[in-house]
Amino acid sequence: MKVSVFEQLPYRHLPAGFEDRYSSVVTTPYFDVVEPERMQESLQSGYAELLHAARAGFDGVCLTEHSQSVYDISPNPNLMAAAVAYATRAEGLDVALTILGRSLGKSREPLKVAEEYALLDCITGGRLIAGFPVGLSYDANQNGAIPAIETRERYAEHRELILKAWAAREPFAWNGRFEKYGQVNLWPRPIQQPHPPIWIPGSGSPGTLLDILRRDYAFVYLSWSGPKLVGRQVFDRYWELADKEGRDRNPYRLAFLQVVAVSETDARAEKEYAAHLESHYRTGLGTVPPSGFAVPGYAERAGIEHMVRNPGELGMFPKMRHITYKEIVDTQVAIVGSPATVADQIEAFVREFRIGNLLVMLQNGSMPRELTEKNISLFASEVLPKLRPIWDEEGWENHWWPRGAEMPRAVAGAAAGGEA
Amino acid sequence: MATGYADVRDEVVDVCDGRLRLHVKVAGDGPPVVFFHPLPGLEWQPLLDRLAERYTVYAPEHPGTSPDNPQAIREVHTFWELLLAYEEALRALGLKRPAVVGMSFGGMIAADLAASFPDALSRLVLLSPIGLWRDDAPIRLVEMVTGPPEELPTYLFKYPESEAAQALMALPDDPDQVPVAIAQGAWNVGCTTKFAWPIADHGLARRLHRIAVPTLVLWGRDDALVPVVYAEEFGGRITGSRVELLDDCGHAMQADQPAQMVTAITEFLA
Repeated sequence: MKVSVFEQLPYRHLPAGFEDRYSSVVTTPYFDVVEPERMQESLQSGYAELLHAARAGFDGVCLTEHSQSVYDISPNPNLMAAAVAYATRAEGLDVALTILGRSLGKSREPLKVAEEYALLDCITGGRLIAGFPVGLSYDANQNGAIPAIETRERYAEHRELILKAWAAREPFAWNGRFEKYGQVNLWPRPIQQPHPPIWIPGSGSPGTLLDILRRDYAFVYLSWSGPKLVGRQVFDRYWELADKEGRDRNPYRLAFLQVVAVSETDARAEKEYAAHLESHYRTGLGTVPPSGFAVPGYAERAGIEHMVRNPGELGMFPKMRHITYKEIVDTQVAIVGSPATVADQIEAFVREFRIGNLLVMLQNGSMPRELTEKNISLFASEVLPKLRPIWDEEGWENHWWPRGAEMPRAVAGAAAGGEA
Repeated sequence: MATGYADVRDEVVDVCDGRLRLHVKVAGDGPPVVFFHPLPGLEWQPLLDRLAERYTVYAPEHPGTSPDNPQAIREVHTFWELLLAYEEALRALGLKRPAVVGMSFGGMIAADLAASFPDALSRLVLLSPIGLWRDDAPIRLVEMVTGPPEELPTYLFKYPESEAAQALMALPDDPDQVPVAIAQGAWNVGCTTKFAWPIADHGLARRLHRIAVPTLVLWGRDDALVPVVYAEEFGGRITGSRVELLDDCGHAMQADQPAQMVTAITEFLA
């Protein structure tokens, strides 16, 4: 299987008690909670840690987009991705670069997304995975001011426009509902033609899953609410729909994001990581106001009714503002422990749910750079080698992996172990 | 729909070359009065009962808010298309120059219908309408819609504890119907805010001078959602209009000062 490091860019020095006083998005008062030097340090650390992961032997690195949030200061992930793309190329590190990605429901300049992704694919030599998320409601509808009920219509049009712009041989006119262009003729075009591998993050609604399967994209599920609580029904639904749509059960159709913290022993892991993990959820998703996930019109009427009738499907979300370390590990919202503990837990659900592309989030909340790099190094040297061969015996081909990043990574992984 | 009135019937009107079917609630007898509802959808309220005693009340449901077809909202792409659909509906219903009453979001529709089609109506009543914008008096629609539900009454009511306010906020008694009501309520707001997000300014300020019918602008002095300064903004732009301000009254005047509101409207229409 392929294992990538996913990184958000939180501000790491939020004041104590933040979760009782503020929201983490949209309205958070910047000048009240941020010290400028520490913002610089937080962001710089994120870049350094991603490069550390690339050097440590991970198969890929992964970024995403959020505006006006304390937990991911990444208004355009392609800015950071360009720096990482250049650095990894210069060092001969053939990691995949996954952007999970520019939000197409929010975007007002979808051709810029097409151009940026194409540029990244060129300068990485075809190592881009193009993520096409709809975008969270608060980001699309509050930060981006898109009328909520238009979010998915815009998403669909923008994705079609980008795909056509990447591959069209001649300049073309686009008379869309939201976008009108007289002459579309992108420079550059992606090296990977007609398009880089496309990954779609989602919460697992049947409509999204069907779209992914019919277009033969990969589905990315983010485990924030706890794979034990909500994972089974989402993955079962995905594979059952795959059967119905005549798609094989190739595990590489499924990518999964998991928060992981690894140390020498279980006890030491708790001591080192517990407070940082709590801060991650309490000051991040835990303090997004409930409406931030569904401004009226963002979710269909039937979807809202379903959620109101089945609050259990929200998993740990309602508790996150004051979630405890015990709740985090009991529900596997994060997997924490020694290399053996972590590897065993991950391997169990990877096999159970047929996950071929694993994303691990190794920096969380207030976690400092030294500890994050230890987490990265230990995972790369002690856990990654156990996970990588998981699907080898079944012999599947990963059609959702970029062609420029197919070099074996085992050698670099072994070399990075000593850095811890 | 909660109604104290016996004879509210549902008429359907096909507009937009058959792509859109509008539901219009109709009651009463007499000259026509059209009522455009506010953001949460059509609630058959005592005002409409009172009007139905003397008039035939036509109350269209905003596209998508009729329970039988939530996707109807997809057929209306822009605010201009919404106005065209309603203008077409008035003709399809055979309404010749009806009086038009619009409440809040519905007030924006009523005002723009009157400005865009000066001959389509005879009288206009605007009840704390949205549709204009002043930087020094921001309309707090985004804050209200995205804020915690428990804060909603603070935007709408001067007297949130009143029976009328409580009735407007109430969920169904039948627990099984609560999720249905919550989902319909959220969807309705999604359908209406499509044309009001994040700022409900479609250039109405530059068209209001075209309104050529007697107009009443009615506002609560304590409106916390659409500040009362907008009463003069509308009044100053609509030639010959009358502005009346209600004391001790927030945005939802049908809850805070229902009697004064009904009196002002019925006297103006008489």
